[in-house]
Amino acid sequence: MARRAHLAAGFRRVLLAELRQIGARPGLMFMLAPFPLLLFALLAVVFHLGLPRDLPIAVVDLDRSTLSRQMVRMVDAAPDVAVAREAGTLAEGRQLLLSGKAYAVVLIPVRTERDVLAGRRPEVVLFYNNQYMTPGSLVARSVGGVLGTVAAGISVEARVARGADVESATQAVTPVPVRQSALFNPSLEYVQFLLAAVMPTVLQIFIGASAALSFARDRQGVAGLGRSLRLGGTLFRTTAGKLAPYTLAYLLVLWGADALLFGPMGARFGGSLAFHAAYGLVFVLASQMLGAAAALVARDTVSALAAVGVIASPAFGFTGITFPRLSMNGFSRFWADLLPVTHYLELRTDNILRGAPLETSLPAFGCLLGLALIYGGVALLLLWRHGRPRPVSAVEAGR
Amino acid sequence: MIAAFCREIVAALGAIWTDKGARSTMLGATLFFSAFFPQPYLNEVVRDLPVAVIDQDGSTLSRELVRRIDAADAVAVARYAPDMPSARSLFLKREVHGIVVIPPRFERDLLAGRAAPIASFSDGGYFLLNSSMSSALSNAARSLGAEVQIGRLAASGVDMAEAMAIVEPLRVTTIPLFNPAGGYASFVLPAVFVLILQQTLLMGIGNLKAGRRPGAALSTLADAIVYVGLYSLWAGVVLVWLPWVYRLPRIGDVAVMYAVVVPFLAAVTAMGIAVARLIPTKEGVIFFLVVLGMPLFFLSGVSWPAEAMPGLLHAIAFVIPSTTAVPALVRVNQMGADIRSVETTIFVQLGLCLAYSLLAVLVERAKGRPAA
Repeated sequence: MARRAHLAAGFRRVLLAELRQIGARPGLMFMLAPFPLLLFALLAVVFHLGLPRDLPIAVVDLDRSTLSRQMVRMVDAAPDVAVAREAGTLAEGRQLLLSGKAYAVVLIPVRTERDVLAGRRPEVVLFYNNQYMTPGSLVARSVGGVLGTVAAGISVEARVARGADVESATQAVTPVPVRQSALFNPSLEYVQFLLAAVMPTVLQIFIGASAALSFARDRQGVAGLGRSLRLGGTLFRTTAGKLAPYTLAYLLVLWGADALLFGPMGARFGGSLAFHAAYGLVFVLASQMLGAAAALVARDTVSALAAVGVIASPAFGFTGITFPRLSMNGFSRFWADLLPVTHYLELRTDNILRGAPLETSLPAFGCLLGLALIYGGVALLLLWRHGRPRPVSAVEAGR
Repeated sequence: MIAAFCREIVAALGAIWTDKGARSTMLGATLFFSAFFPQPYLNEVVRDLPVAVIDQDGSTLSRELVRRIDAADAVAVARYAPDMPSARSLFLKREVHGIVVIPPRFERDLLAGRAAPIASFSDGGYFLLNSSMSSALSNAARSLGAEVQIGRLAASGVDMAEAMAIVEPLRVTTIPLFNPAGGYASFVLPAVFVLILQQTLLMGIGNLKAGRRPGAALSTLADAIVYVGLYSLWAGVVLVWLPWVYRLPRIGDVAVMYAVVVPFLAAVTAMGIAVARLIPTKEGVIFFLVVLGMPLFFLSGVSWPAEAMPGLLHAIAFVIPSTTAVPALVRVNQMGADIRSVETTIFVQLGLCLAYSLLAVLVERAKGRPAA
């Protein structure tokens, strides 16, 4: 009993010492909650308008017929795009693409209407800027769809003229219609996903960096890690006491951002809240252990921060939210498995979005837990090695 | 004067080499990040995305449709599922990323000239998987449908040319420019590389300058020239050589690129010196820059179009050099834009350089006054 009280006291002593350290550093306090929340607000503002509307495109109408004017009108009426310019020549259209004033150019060649009526199958060309893939593919899909509708209308007229009734002619235009639905995200609310995925990735940097700073600071200090170890009594109590303030702060930030996402921003939550809380906690712990291990491997504070930066700042590409993991090379898949955020985001998708049964998520949860244990083990091992009293301080301690 | 200036230049170079932090960010990190960031994207496109097929028709035409879906580059038919619940469970286990349902009487309806719809369920959580699957599927459905239609018309005695004109009276050709294969690496990396230049340069300056007494004007100027010079070399490596190594499309004129790069680097250097004077500790500067990297990427308007951002935010983001420099350099390098198309950006960068230099001087004045 007395022993337990002693150990709890060790935890409390380290915790208080850490809180004093934080209290003495306004910069550190700022990065605990206000700064990540500020970044979340910034990202939310970047994405809050959702997918863009009225992306500017240019038209080169060399035909100037009823049909070509109808095409231009219909393209302009599509919600995703707006015909911002009418260029006289293709070269002019190209210049608009190069200066970023248009994402696509539609070329309607001369005699288009006449060739359609004569059955010569003229060609309308849509050039789009695929270097800017997000708006480029949006524009291509939208304009391509409109032009397809125009062509389908002509096709229906041709069939009706040959004696078909309107209904069968309409059916014949798209003989194999594809009824497309996106599972678990019927309205394709992609923006909320992006935001929901970017935020934990940014937080992983904060969490890792704060843990790294905490340990690196002790290591560089005059008293060294030995002092914290003596305060805490055991390796485990020391680590827990040092990291607890950050665990709490970042859990609050993580859940606070989620509260905003699922509250005022209206994202749908379709899973188990308890499980969400559980993997959130393990994610924060694993990221902390990663940062602590990095700090104990690195020689000084700046290199510790740099190490966390190297590991955590490119993480977003590896998580597979934008470019899918199944198309990555072996190294990237391996590296992604070492990052807590990869598993966290997979668990989020499974739980919140897909409402998957718990056993589907067990492997990913196991991976996250495994990472926390491995990084934690490395951190404790290094702490033990660095915190061992050196000969001089051994004498001092013996007195 | 000139001799003193040369000495300052040598001193600035020496400082980068002897300061461990500066050496590892300005020399090591630039190269490391340029090799590391591209890794996930190097395969460029989604290939053989596994999908499950529920073929309730089991006819010649339904098998032909499945064959065409499987033949698409992006998609591979990985499983045949008997019903929706089992397909769904494969989906939840991430063994497949899409489900195609071909209903009974598909062949009969198609041959009778009635619409024969199929259903596709794609992965709504992943934008790229979703769009790869839907385009592969609509291509397969359209090509099969058109063939059956032309066959029917030809069988009823219409000649081939006329049948084609009825089925497709207006050809719509879609041509993707600048990134013809739609590669993800080609899309993201040119922007990321510019951002890596900016961030490592800022970190290096933070390492060298934060928390130290600023030198004389001449020595600061010499430092700035050395940073811009060093990073102009890096720009060659990262924006010209690396795209060649990774086989990314690059058609730009190197001279035009440098016309943007040099003002951009000057603006970044001025910003770095100002930030280092504003944030007093090295750790603070580096931390600030590490967490800011990703938001800055989204602000640059390459992955997320600037049109979709609130105007005020985009206006505020102008103070960061990368916001305008990233799209301008992408336009020059990947799209072959001439200098006329990017002259606004050049002026913006020069303006930023001036503004940050002024800020750096003012911060120093403000700090110096209470002490004096």
